[in-house]
Amino acid sequence: MSAASSHVLEADGIQLAFGERRILSDVYLRVQTGQVVGLLGRNGCGKSTLLQTVFGGRHLPDASVRVNGRRVVPAYRQPGLLNYLPQVPLLPERLTVAEAARMFGVNAQQALDGFPDLSAQLSRRIGELSGGTTRLVQVLLLLHANTQFSLFDEPFSGVMPVHVETLADLFQQAKARKGILLTDHRYAEVLPLCDVVYLLQNGRLEQLPSDPVPALRDRGYLAS
Amino acid sequence: MTISTYLRALGLFYRTVAPFAVVFSLLIFAVAAVGPFPNWPLPLTLGLVLTKLSTFSVIWYLSEQLRPHQYWLYLNLHIAPWQLWAGVIVADTLLFSAAVLLLHAVLP
Repeated sequence: MSAASSHVLEADGIQLAFGERRILSDVYLRVQTGQVVGLLGRNGCGKSTLLQTVFGGRHLPDASVRVNGRRVVPAYRQPGLLNYLPQVPLLPERLTVAEAARMFGVNAQQALDGFPDLSAQLSRRIGELSGGTTRLVQVLLLLHANTQFSLFDEPFSGVMPVHVETLADLFQQAKARKGILLTDHRYAEVLPLCDVVYLLQNGRLEQLPSDPVPALRDRGYLAS
Repeated sequence: MTISTYLRALGLFYRTVAPFAVVFSLLIFAVAAVGPFPNWPLPLTLGLVLTKLSTFSVIWYLSEQLRPHQYWLYLNLHIAPWQLWAGVIVADTLLFSAAVLLLHAVLP
């Protein structure tokens, strides 16, 4: 794997309220090449909205997203900049795994290399795969795509434990060439993986100390 | 985004929209054939094309309501929703016009 130049993705000014309920309040977020950044928070606190806003799929008026100080809104329009895995299925059911890989410019064989049981399923349609396998395929394709950043909304959802461990290793390898921002409730897997952990609570994003567990307990995200 | 990626994405997107587009095209043909003012076989006129184009607002609405998450794949390919709809409208209107011309040519 060739050494990648370093890039910094920053997002701020992100505000969102539904009536009286403030979801996001002047959030600042930073991800750089070589980092896996974890975004934790309770259900409905705005994690997905934040990822979608950074990606550019959701437009919020004051949101500013910058890469190396240059404004990139909507970020998804910049080829090679970033990709995003939503919580909902990403790929059409009729597409085969190989076709999906081709669309993302990914070498399918290489992307599925660490998962021998997946390699045999290249010619199968996405709709024929189990939910967990589909999720895994989607994560692998985006992780291997040639982008500076990848944003993942619940990448481990439905993925079986033995694959989660391999996937976590792949995240660690991939961060050498891209910045990774992920959110997932499987904190036991997420925390050891992350170089930086943010907690989104009451609309505010707080960067937690290097040992985030006490802070997560103090703030009610983990049971004490 | 390369042209081939765009065309591949457009093909995928068009397949999700095509059922609605076909229904509205058949509806236009049916009204022309058995409506209160029969005009069959339909001549290809500006009014007909505008009628066809006007159906896309309904198709867009139905598509947004039934598949609210349909764009994430295309955004990951750096394609904005308006680019997909522009392609769909052009392609489907051309197909519709070709069908009208064909019917006009082969029917008495």
